[in-house]
Amino acid sequence: MNFYEHTIIARQDTSPSQLKQIQDKYTDLVNKNEGDVVKVENWGLLNLSYLIKKNKKGNYIHFKLKGLGKTISELEKNEKIDKNLLRYLTVKVKELDLKTNYFEKNLDEKKRKL
Amino acid sequence: MKRNSNRRKSTGQSNFVKLSIFQPQKYKFKRKCPLSGKGAPAIDYKNVKLLKKYMTENGKIMPSRITSICQKKQRELSLSIKRARNLALL
Repeated sequence: MNFYEHTIIARQDTSPSQLKQIQDKYTDLVNKNEGDVVKVENWGLLNLSYLIKKNKKGNYIHFKLKGLGKTISELEKNEKIDKNLLRYLTVKVKELDLKTNYFEKNLDEKKRKL
Repeated sequence: MKRNSNRRKSTGQSNFVKLSIFQPQKYKFKRKCPLSGKGAPAIDYKNVKLLKKYMTENGKIMPSRITSICQKKQRELSLSIKRARNLALL
């Protein structure tokens, strides 16, 4: 078993219920293909630093996975076709870092300022 | 051998000796790599705040001769910057 970090960017105009569907869809896909989703992080709507397919913002979803190379290839095959997604990135890591979440802190700071 | 003993004496006298232009390369001030050693932050493509420190305003990666990052960490850094660029975080 290998450890992976997987991030996907969804279009900015997807509704929250649709986002949840996307999240569930891919967690199911991983679980079916001999994989295991350890943690899901919702980074929320972030500004893209450059336009991707004429989108200025994107919804980021971050998965921490445990699985085989086969599961990842299956995941990426499905994500290529998906029209709701803008980008995806998979990174193989030696150990999953479950403690630090770099994007949750930003939200807290913003709330304090408001 | 004689030279070595002399050098040691001269450095022992004061720290300002190091500032002289005529001193050999050995004694010039050189910063240590800020990303290695104990307590250094881990390089990660998700840590946008850290990555931005080592980039120019135009979004280029800064050379290690300016930031004095060691070669190993510079490789790690450039890889993680490129990952962050792909995700449109930078």
